[in-house]
Amino acid sequence: MQPDERLRPHSVDDPPPFLGTWNNVYLAIVLYLALLIAAFGWFTLAFTPVVIR
Amino acid sequence: MVHPGLYAGGDPVTTLDWVVLVGWLLVTIVYGLYKARGSNTTQAYLLAGKSMPWYAIGLSIMATQASAITFISTTGQSYVDGMRFVQFYFGLPLAMVILSMTAVPIFHRADVYTAYEYLGQRFDRRARTLVSLLFLVSRGLGAGVALYAPAVVLSVALGFSERWTTILMGVLVVGYTTMGGVKAVTWSDVQQMLLIFGGLVTALFLAVWNLPADIGLGDAVSIAGAAGRLNAIVTTFDWDDRYNVWSGLIGGMFLALAYFGTDQSQVQRYLTGRSIAQSRLSLLFNAMAKIPMQFFVLFIGTVVFAYYHFEKPPVLFQPADQRKLEAGAEAGAMTGRFDRAFTERRDAARTWLKSRSEADLARYRATQKEVDATRAAAMKQTGAAADTNYIFLHFVTTTMPPGLVGLMIAVIFAAAMSTISGEVNSLATVTIMDLYRPFQANAGDAHLLLASRVATMFWGTYAVVFAGFAGRLGSLIEAVNIVGSLFYGGMLGAFVVAFFMPRVTSAGAFWGVLAGEAAIFYCFLATKISFLWYNVIGALVVIAVAVAVSAVAPAKATDTPSAS
Repeated sequence: MQPDERLRPHSVDDPPPFLGTWNNVYLAIVLYLALLIAAFGWFTLAFTPVVIR
Repeated sequence: MVHPGLYAGGDPVTTLDWVVLVGWLLVTIVYGLYKARGSNTTQAYLLAGKSMPWYAIGLSIMATQASAITFISTTGQSYVDGMRFVQFYFGLPLAMVILSMTAVPIFHRADVYTAYEYLGQRFDRRARTLVSLLFLVSRGLGAGVALYAPAVVLSVALGFSERWTTILMGVLVVGYTTMGGVKAVTWSDVQQMLLIFGGLVTALFLAVWNLPADIGLGDAVSIAGAAGRLNAIVTTFDWDDRYNVWSGLIGGMFLALAYFGTDQSQVQRYLTGRSIAQSRLSLLFNAMAKIPMQFFVLFIGTVVFAYYHFEKPPVLFQPADQRKLEAGAEAGAMTGRFDRAFTERRDAARTWLKSRSEADLARYRATQKEVDATRAAAMKQTGAAADTNYIFLHFVTTTMPPGLVGLMIAVIFAAAMSTISGEVNSLATVTIMDLYRPFQANAGDAHLLLASRVATMFWGTYAVVFAGFAGRLGSLIEAVNIVGSLFYGGMLGAFVVAFFMPRVTSAGAFWGVLAGEAAIFYCFLATKISFLWYNVIGALVVIAVAVAVSAVAPAKATDTPSAS
């Protein structure tokens, strides 16, 4: 039987549900941000005519 | 069937819209109160008994941040200024990572009700009280603006006065927040955020659907790009420029650190997490979802911008200003100038879409400049200050069929109510836990619970009263961010020295915060530095002064932390 989640001390530091460690999760977030900025850069260049850049 | 429109003197909202709006309001409030049943202790009322799962906290954080201003003003902002505002959020994922590594475990282990209670443990009551007061001032002002935004919507769309609308909104929000506490706020936020997502998709779909038959989404995007509205990335660095990639990454990160790390309206959300991992996941969910969501909202504004190339908009979107313009001595000349500019721009856009030649692009851009110049002249003539806030509203009420108008108004309501409820709840928590409880050593739990409910009602009333003045602040989204930036730098500096600088004393933190705030107000009043940098400057000044004071004035016996 699983112990009731609400009875656990809330300061327990569990591992993340994916990517193994929290540091891996943080790294994935930073890479995701870099990817977003690159995609927005492409979006700006692709749809803004050269004349007005 | 399309609404006859506010601007033609028609009835803007049908019975079906009212059914959708009132029905949604009832469902949300009843659902929130149902989920909050049993919140009969102070911890349950203010921290949901630390039982919330990450997805509910994450959506609640997002809903609290995504105010009605997000929809009313952000779409209008991309209409007039393009998508570069999205860069403002680039620092947010970095801030979420830093806070997940630092603030979340520290606050959880300190077992506090508020972030400022932790400052009391680390420093003393003086530092805790000072930062609590900074929060109450800044968030109190923000709550008023957040309440005013939907009042704009309702007063225009439903024909109510702004005053009565703020009172109605205030009563609704304060009612369920007072009764259900943070649990009611959080679960209502979950529902509201899901409605917001649905509303956004619907708005974009209808914006594209309403384009002329020969104009597709690709053409609309091309037009927005030709007008310089798709400037999602600006790499040029300029201290005075509010939105470029550098101010977004650095200034935005500091603002997000301050907002999510020191603002109780956010901290209280993740303090309700049932574990450190759940709180972290809620922040990281925001790190992933916030930027795409803002991009989507801004993109809707650019499609609306393209739509109004083919459907003539009023010169001014604010109905009262438009009426003022039409009643003025130069009404004929101004509307005639706008009609010519609109027709020339529409024709130039079609010509350029077919030819894609540089000459036609230059002609189109000249016509766009004339439309902008005409609107600017009309705004100057009428004294219009916040026309941006009415663009999306005009689009919704003049293009959408009955029922959907009610849905879109419900979306704006949802965004507003989730923000205000979170803010009022956090203001009450800080008032009771940081300013009242320290002087009520013998107060029992029932006493504090009652005091929390009274404080919730007080802050709700305060927000309603302040909302009466918010209309004079210009673009609402910027007003909120500027007000926040005046105080966040000092607050952020206090937490940085508390977390990372064990040698900093209570006196150092106290004088550091005062010096940081003085530096920020100097920048605001005497320089043209963009508000995004205030947090960086303020936090750095706090750190420098705190370190210096701590070095020259060692800790005294009175610097011992206060009991909480």
